Amino acid sequence: MTMQESGTVSSLSDQAIETHGLTKRFNNFTAVDHVDLSVRRGEIYGFLGPNGAGKTTAIRMLCTLLTPTSGTASVDGYDIVKQGNDVRKRIGLVSEKMIMYPRLTALENLMFFGRLYRIERNALRKKSEELLEMVKLTPFKDKLVGGFSSGMRQRVNVIRAILHDPYILFLDEPTTGLDPQSTRFVRDLVKELKQRGHTIVLTTHIMEEADELSDRVCIIDHGKIMAVDTPQALKGKYNTGSLLEVFLGLTGRELRDSANERISMRAPMGRM
Amino acid sequence: MAETITWDLALDIARRDLLDLWRSKMLLFFFILFPILLMSMFGYIYPPIPKSNPNTGTIGTAFPNLPVMLVKMDDGQTANLIAAQFIQISTQQGLFSVSETASYQAARNQLVEGNIKGIVIIPQGFSDALAAGQPATVQVTVDETNPTTASVVQSEISAVFNIIGSSISAQNINNLDGGRVSPTFIMQPISVTNIPLITGVSSSFQFLAPGFMALTVITGSLQGVATAISREKEQGTMDGLLVAPIPHRSIILGKVAAQTVRGLIQGFLILGLSMVLFGVQIYGSPIIMLIVMVLGTASFVGVGIIMTAIAPDQETAQMMTIILQFPMMFISGILFPIDQLPGWMQYIGKAMPLYYAADALRKVIILNASLAAITPDLLILIVYTFLTMTVAIPLFEKAMRR
Repeated sequence: MTMQESGTVSSLSDQAIETHGLTKRFNNFTAVDHVDLSVRRGEIYGFLGPNGAGKTTAIRMLCTLLTPTSGTASVDGYDIVKQGNDVRKRIGLVSEKMIMYPRLTALENLMFFGRLYRIERNALRKKSEELLEMVKLTPFKDKLVGGFSSGMRQRVNVIRAILHDPYILFLDEPTTGLDPQSTRFVRDLVKELKQRGHTIVLTTHIMEEADELSDRVCIIDHGKIMAVDTPQALKGKYNTGSLLEVFLGLTGRELRDSANERISMRAPMGRM
Repeated sequence: MAETITWDLALDIARRDLLDLWRSKMLLFFFILFPILLMSMFGYIYPPIPKSNPNTGTIGTAFPNLPVMLVKMDDGQTANLIAAQFIQISTQQGLFSVSETASYQAARNQLVEGNIKGIVIIPQGFSDALAAGQPATVQVTVDETNPTTASVVQSEISAVFNIIGSSISAQNINNLDGGRVSPTFIMQPISVTNIPLITGVSSSFQFLAPGFMALTVITGSLQGVATAISREKEQGTMDGLLVAPIPHRSIILGKVAAQTVRGLIQGFLILGLSMVLFGVQIYGSPIIMLIVMVLGTASFVGVGIIMTAIAPDQETAQMMTIILQFPMMFISGILFPIDQLPGWMQYIGKAMPLYYAADALRKVIILNASLAAITPDLLILIVYTFLTMTVAIPLFEKAMRR
């Protein structure tokens, strides 16, 4: 299956994502601090860190939603600043806030967002219906998503992000707030998407989820990378059976209460 | 592709915004209620005033049948006759509902209690004075606690007695002159007649409706765009638009188009209502009206975009637009003539695109102005569009990917 609906040939880079010294500062707060990442093609990359560690900021930069303060990054070989549009064609985003309109039906939401990728209407409808079937929402496709449960919404939210067959999929805490059934379903869906050839960057606070799904995990704290390896290797290195212990060992046991003035003043609803 | 506007995407975005309004029945209800309310409020604050005509002896009033009391202290024949004439004219023309009482004190008590708006006193010796060939005086007390009604009552009472006085003068002249010269020639050798700007316009509202229309369309879309963009930013759907490979201009254009359509719906509702309720007539071309309003919206909507770029959330953006649109209402010459403002305020008023949009719309609706006649206004609106958009688009791009 081809992942490039635009027909452009992927760049020569063997990495799906590469960053060099990627940095984002908000006034005097450094959210992401000289990060060098490399995400391999076809892997699930677990991106872990305490609240405020810089995960979301990093992902938003890679999705071109934030401009880096310094450093470079490429997604599928395209520079996130200079070739933003090429990057955007190749990525899908499932963010913390669900990207959908409550007063549109499930199908209408998919049709609306799909059109932004210039997918031809009939093909788009077919694709949307297939994906709705995949997440078992066919009976609800003509209902307004405003009335959906969180689990149902998250399923719509995930398939919304893959309508255009993005090469790389960013999943920012996709199971937060979901019941165990929906969590299971979304996790299986993530595995299914890997099978289909998507490269996936996944953030989560649930260590067993990271352990189960990730080929490799990256632990980030205070905007800096603390460790990158397979869950297995990390557990071996720290001589423990749980990724949670590795995580706490690397990032400490203290609570992370901090208030960044710039963020709280400008964007009370979340990180911008 | 990145540098051009993709119209079909803008259309998709606009359609979705309008669908959102359509699906929210409560929002839709208030959306329609707003122009109705605005129209009724201002329509009845500026009621149609029937023209007074001294030649035919008609007196127009905006406050029909105000209660007044007549205190007749003279029982002479002339006094009785004139009192009867006062009651007759007042009642016939619907100016006052007149009741009579014997003492001024009793009438004054009624006035103080707020039961009547004025007192007309025909004092003792009234008949004798006239019989002796001397001018006589009628005394008036009005409810000065309400300046507007007070001045209306005062001037209408004077007008009624002018009519009565004129007929006495005419009689006197006839008696002296034996009917050789027209009494009017002696009393009022020069008279003034009004040729209306537009024949058949009976309502001052005719001149206000175009301004209201412009105001609603322009400020409505300004506020709408600011709110719509901030809301999407806040609820997270803006990320869905920004993460897609589409030019920012398509997003802006889509939002602006949807809000312009909403503004136009409200604008035409206002026009329709003022036609039905207040007899406003349209003399110009609806197509030119549409052009004026679309340009008027375009001229100012950039300011709304600038505001969303600056404002951190929806609430702040809304507050900013209200702060902007409120003074605009008062100094753009829509409610009050701009000439009565101090000089510096006039400059600000004339710096607002609303002034030109309202001016052009007024000319089209009332004077049937052609496109050529309003070209200066339109050019100014176009210049505004370019100026505001030149600032707004880069600012939007910067703000969205901050």
